[in-house]
Amino acid sequence: MPRGRRRTEFLMLAFAVAVVLFAYASVGLGLNGKLPAGLITYGLSYAVIVFAAHLAVRWLAPWADPLMLPLAALLNGLGVVMIYRLQQSGRDGNPGNAISTMSTSTTMLQVIWSAVGVVAFVAVLAIIREPRVLQRYTYTLGALGLVLLAIPALLPASMSSVKGAKVWIIIGGFSIQPGEFAKLALAVFFASYLVAKRDVLALAGRRVLGIDLPRGRDLGPVLIVWATSLLILVFETDIGTSALFFGMFVAMLYIATQRTSWLLIGVLLFLGGTYITSMLFGHVGERFTIWLHPFDPQYVNGAVVSSYQLVQGLYGMGVGGILGTGLGHGQPFFTPLVQSDFIVTAFGEELGLTGLMALLLIFGLIVQRGLRAAVAVRDPFAKLLAGGLSFVLALQVFVIVGGVTRLIPLTGITTPFLSQGGSSLISSWVLIALLMRISDTARRPAPQPIQDEGMTQVVRAG
Amino acid sequence: MNRALLRLSLACLAMFVLLLINVNYVQAFESTSLTTKPGNIRIFDQQFQYQRGSIIATGDHTGGGVKIADSRLVKGTSTYRRYYPFGPVFAPVTGYDSIYGATGIEGAEDKELAGTDQRLAVHNIVSLFTGKPRLGATVFLTISPKAQQAAYQALKAQSVKDNGLPSAVVAIDPSTGAILALASYPTFNPNAYTTFSGTRLVKSDNRYRHEKSQPLLNRAINATYPPGSTFKVVTSATWLSGNAGRSPQSTVPAPPALKLPNGNLLHNDAGETCGNGNPPLIQAFYVSCNTAFGSLGIKVGARALLNQASLFGLNSSKLAIPLPVSASRYPLEPDPSLRALSAIGQLDDQVTPLQEAMFAATIANGGTLMTPYLVQNIQAPDLRNIQSASPTGTVLSKPVSSQVASEIGQMMFQVTHNQGGTAFATANPQVAGVDISGKTGTAENGVNNAGLNDAVFTCFAPSANPKIAVGVIVQGGGFGADAAAPIAVKIIQAYLGRK
Repeated sequence: MPRGRRRTEFLMLAFAVAVVLFAYASVGLGLNGKLPAGLITYGLSYAVIVFAAHLAVRWLAPWADPLMLPLAALLNGLGVVMIYRLQQSGRDGNPGNAISTMSTSTTMLQVIWSAVGVVAFVAVLAIIREPRVLQRYTYTLGALGLVLLAIPALLPASMSSVKGAKVWIIIGGFSIQPGEFAKLALAVFFASYLVAKRDVLALAGRRVLGIDLPRGRDLGPVLIVWATSLLILVFETDIGTSALFFGMFVAMLYIATQRTSWLLIGVLLFLGGTYITSMLFGHVGERFTIWLHPFDPQYVNGAVVSSYQLVQGLYGMGVGGILGTGLGHGQPFFTPLVQSDFIVTAFGEELGLTGLMALLLIFGLIVQRGLRAAVAVRDPFAKLLAGGLSFVLALQVFVIVGGVTRLIPLTGITTPFLSQGGSSLISSWVLIALLMRISDTARRPAPQPIQDEGMTQVVRAG
Repeated sequence: MNRALLRLSLACLAMFVLLLINVNYVQAFESTSLTTKPGNIRIFDQQFQYQRGSIIATGDHTGGGVKIADSRLVKGTSTYRRYYPFGPVFAPVTGYDSIYGATGIEGAEDKELAGTDQRLAVHNIVSLFTGKPRLGATVFLTISPKAQQAAYQALKAQSVKDNGLPSAVVAIDPSTGAILALASYPTFNPNAYTTFSGTRLVKSDNRYRHEKSQPLLNRAINATYPPGSTFKVVTSATWLSGNAGRSPQSTVPAPPALKLPNGNLLHNDAGETCGNGNPPLIQAFYVSCNTAFGSLGIKVGARALLNQASLFGLNSSKLAIPLPVSASRYPLEPDPSLRALSAIGQLDDQVTPLQEAMFAATIANGGTLMTPYLVQNIQAPDLRNIQSASPTGTVLSKPVSSQVASEIGQMMFQVTHNQGGTAFATANPQVAGVDISGKTGTAENGVNNAGLNDAVFTCFAPSANPKIAVGVIVQGGGFGADAAAPIAVKIIQAYLGRK
């Protein structure tokens, strides 16, 4: 008889809260030698938010994986702490320069977004009691995903563009990144669509040069997604999101059909598309130039093609070294927009290689727990969805962390749970909710069959 | 589908492994090369976010010494700015610390002062956990604030009197080599270099750089001048060491004019006679006869004179105190006629004021030359010493025996105590309040001696129990006894607390 392990979750969560509060206190001590003024209020709100999530899980998903919520809460908390640290830089007499792209209410806002994220998390658990419920809305969600993606491309720049990235919907000072939600909607659509079509996709086709090629009409959806992601890339200057969608779809296609040919076709299509667009559109090519020659003086201070942000991030990580400067002791404020895409470099600078590796392992653990749920669950739709969501989380971490650490060309996407901004945070919580719902389904014991009283009874000892 | 999921898990694992390897590469292996990249604004800025260590002059052995450079929090910010409380007085010692670089002790001990030295690493890891800001180490110097102040004031007064003549002086504790004063005039105000504004910094730097009087030049260790008659100390040492039978009482030929092998005549100053024309060495020394030492120079031979000069510290460019010291030069002179000139400190002889002080210090210390040094010790913020000078000093060389040293000491004593001595008028015990032993020099200068004579003086005091050795050069100052000796006297008085 499996156990729900909610007690484990509670203890792990308490540990996560303790780590976050310690980090928060450490920021204050590091900056000006005093405990931060908001230690009680922010600390308490954070604890209330995550323990509320825990209670909701006890009620709504008692069999869910016990690690996911503490891990997500830890990441969310550390992200808020780092945003607080960055916001305080150069303000209230603290050392460093003030970051002009942040205001004194940024942390407060991020705490509010965290609360909204947890509300969304609870709502998803409450509304979607079984993963298969989602299958009813296959095409609705597919259309919703494409529309969300397309809106920024269609809106005028004043309502969709921030610093060259045309991925926003801005209405009256309030901005959301629809791509973050499109990602989830399309994951559900893909899972649902592929479960329905996987037999045709897997079995029909011709064998050419040892590779099983699918039928032309089965290629249709793949080509549509490919074209869509290329369009995002071109119109929204967003190679990262495009890579994310494409990677997610190819991975799910592979899980559904188990055919390596899909992987090959997918990767070739993506590389080809990227190559062509980099030839046609300057901004894609620039990313490669910066990646290869970041320290070239003409790019470090380049007016048009600039590697300044990347180089500052690398300098920060270099200064951090193995143990880091300590929270509040570094100079992450030199990296432009460090609170969003480059937040991991701030962690690298102040918590060092040690802290950054710990963060990567936390992400890795969430992905691993998600894939575990995918393997364990029986329903093919849930399996596919869990696999796709876990993979897209891993891919997103890979693309952004790899980008800012110069493993791959830099593409601006958010770091799940850590980056400043509501859309990313809420969608990350929803992603965790979906994974926990699936793991709850996987681990929930099957209902006991009603036994004939007259026949042999199984008597358990203990 | 589970097989595909497992393969996908491996792909996820591979992505995380790649990320982990890459962050290890960036933060562990590339960390140093990233932090030392030119243009790394973090490092550039960091040095002013932390409190740099102070520089303290301890040569007077009173209490904790005198702070001559420290970093102070700029009001309303978290930035530290370097401050030199005495302005130009200690400038040739401390140098400056600016956003574009550092000179002097600030440059030589930069890592220690900034707290980036390896030996401070343990302390900084501890501070990392205790949350204390990083501090630099404190550098304690051998400089005596009293002697340094006197040196600066004396050089300045001399310069004002003589229309801005450049001059420099070094004072050493002869028994250890500890440098007590090191001054050069005209000099600069290091506070002009502590601004955070690059444009202001460049402006004041340019002003100093283009000034004709070269205020940034540290003449005490980085400019050389002809030693003139002070070089007779070396010539005497060579001759006395050459034969145990020779003493200051041995007579030496000293005609009014010496006919050199090449036919030229070497005259005494103003064509004076020298005693009876065959005086004892000691008399030739205190009245400073050129002909006597010219002929001794010819007699002792080129190699012996060169070796003796090198033992006194000339011809070496390795000395660092820790500021690098320019080499003083005495080239091998095989031609006897030219050697006669080089033996009286003319021709190609060139010495730093520090070298002048080293002449007297050697004699004062019984013939043993101690390595001159400025840094007494360096103390980590936790008060642990990370570097200390040996309390007894380190021997640089043994130029002469103690016997010869004491003989030259007697001769130098006569320079200031005998009525016929060249420095009797300006450095006798009544004037100075202390027994000083010294040797004057008036070095002819320029092409065909067209330039003004440089005034030189090397001395130590008190004669019986030497505590301080001083070397002074006043460029174009004229007679060494008139221009240079009074400067040395003032420093000695200040250091010994006389008068």
